[in-house]
Amino acid sequence: MALIELKNINKTYNNGQPLHVLKGIDLHIEKGEFVSIMGASGSGKSTLLNILGILDNYDTGTYTLNGTLIKDLTEKQAADYRNRMIGFIFQSFNLISFKTAVENVELPLYYQGVPRRKRHEMAMEYLEKLGLTPWANHFPNEMSGGQKQRVAIARALITKPQIILADEPTGALDSKTSVEVMQLLKKLNQEEGITIIVVTHESGVANETDKIIHIKDGIIGQIEENTHHDAWGGPLMK
Amino acid sequence: MRIEFIHEVASSLRNNKLRTALTGFAVSWGIFLLILLLGAGNGLMNSFGGNVGDYISETIAVEGWYTTKPYRGYKDNRRIQLDQKDLEYTTGPEWEGTIYRVTTSTSSTSATLVLNQSSVGGWLTGAMPAHKDQFKVKLAAGRFINDKDLQERRKVMVISKAQAKELVQGEPETLIGQWVKAGSVAMQVVGIYHTDEQEFRRSCYIPYTTYKTIFDTSDKIAAINFSVNGPSTLEEHKAFQDKYTATLKNMHDVAPDDEYAIWVRNSYTENMQMARAQHIMSIAMWILGLLTLISGIAGVSNIMLITVKERTHEFGIRKAIGAKPGSILRLIIGESVFITTLFGYAGMVIGMIACQIMDKTVGQESVDIGITKIRMLVDPTVGLDVALEATLLLIIAGTIAGVIPAWKAARVKPIEALRAD
Repeated sequence: MALIELKNINKTYNNGQPLHVLKGIDLHIEKGEFVSIMGASGSGKSTLLNILGILDNYDTGTYTLNGTLIKDLTEKQAADYRNRMIGFIFQSFNLISFKTAVENVELPLYYQGVPRRKRHEMAMEYLEKLGLTPWANHFPNEMSGGQKQRVAIARALITKPQIILADEPTGALDSKTSVEVMQLLKKLNQEEGITIIVVTHESGVANETDKIIHIKDGIIGQIEENTHHDAWGGPLMK
Repeated sequence: MRIEFIHEVASSLRNNKLRTALTGFAVSWGIFLLILLLGAGNGLMNSFGGNVGDYISETIAVEGWYTTKPYRGYKDNRRIQLDQKDLEYTTGPEWEGTIYRVTTSTSSTSATLVLNQSSVGGWLTGAMPAHKDQFKVKLAAGRFINDKDLQERRKVMVISKAQAKELVQGEPETLIGQWVKAGSVAMQVVGIYHTDEQEFRRSCYIPYTTYKTIFDTSDKIAAINFSVNGPSTLEEHKAFQDKYTATLKNMHDVAPDDEYAIWVRNSYTENMQMARAQHIMSIAMWILGLLTLISGIAGVSNIMLITVKERTHEFGIRKAIGAKPGSILRLIIGESVFITTLFGYAGMVIGMIACQIMDKTVGQESVDIGITKIRMLVDPTVGLDVALEATLLLIIAGTIAGVIPAWKAARVKPIEALRAD
């Protein structure tokens, strides 16, 4: 059974005049896949990601995540699923500015009720994994973009989620750092077997993933199996 | 989980020092002003009540005065003097159970007290033992006039501390037992009583019988003093007085509607009127205080609203990583309660210290109003209970002030919150 199963998802925004953003999305993503969703701005890819991340709801269709139907959840249930099943990586990092790196990484565990000492230990462990130990007590504004994104990745990983959703994870980074971040995601996918879904409009980023799902005007277009990227030789590298 | 929560709240506050300080200042200032206001109000009321109330007990004094109306063939402006018949009427069966502790006192005769080379002016007044309780004479040393003094018509005298200080060097108590010349008669000092701030009391109490032997041998009575059981309201006292004086007026051929010929000084009703005035004043103080408090609460509420707005993005992040609406709500209310409690308490303590300073400085100053000096503020402090109540009120109000913004923040959808900047 697929980890993520979308059947005929429709979503319309009603701001003034109705805007039909997603027009019947069908999507299967298996456990351990490294997928990118690619499309131009306005294609509905961000809306799709928000629905996958249970940050937004959909109008019709079904969304099953790891065998659980995600529909008509209360805010409380949604928060709980997000916390336990999904890790987010955002374009603008979304770290809390008045918390240090380690405090930011700890936060998801705080909402799980993990004791302070335990979550501090775990956060330090993840920061070490990402080579950020010296930066543990620095505030976000004392770190570079790449470091901030790695803190965000550590925060996404700490709850051991089923999937990681990355919304333009390299959008705010220079090309060298972008490569590093994508390599990191790839490594996490390969070594830890974490399912990762990246939303992007850059083909260079998409090319780093195993499967590229093209979305256009709210409909899934071509699904491209990408098997030629192992040598880290995508356009991004040049 | 509790300690975790407190930690989260504390860290949020610690990392937003300016906001915390501003909110805290609004709270502290509100409660500080409230305590100061209530303290000053109490001081003012104590000044009214203390300067007079301390020295008036529950006594009705009846004196004869001048008629203002012609009646039964007599002209007006005739002097009425109470006598033995009036005393018998007062103590008689008609008022048994109502009137008790009846004493008589004389008018006063001025006399210069002389001891060795020192002298001081005074007014000799004949009094009975119960006079001490009826008019709240507070002894500093020795004793008051007693029954034996009355029976034996002793030449003993109770003088004020102010007078004693004039007569002897050092401790006024050393005067007890000494013979002092009062006018043309030598009297032995047996007691010294406290004078109040104003020192307007210059009475020198001597036994009633002694006075009636030396200074006024008539059978007239200057004043009849007594306490009453029964009347408890202003209206009941008025009714009692009317009924009591009606007979006296009749006995002295005074017109029934002559209000001045029989002069009644009722300290029960004076106390009641004083209490009523104090009550009104304390209500006014509380209203002013609560208005001050409301400005503090508005400050908290305002800052909380702005806070929530500027932190919407942060709440979005928290929600994305798993914060439930309830935990956002708790975080904001927790911060609000934490700030109001901490700074409210600080404001309360500073306010109480300020009251103490006020007590030690302005509170000690007297204002000369001509005939006497009065202290404007007496003990201008606030009880701990009132202070704690006010602080508790602020904490509750602070919580309520935090609820609306917190509720708004908790309800914002995560995607909307994440979009906010």
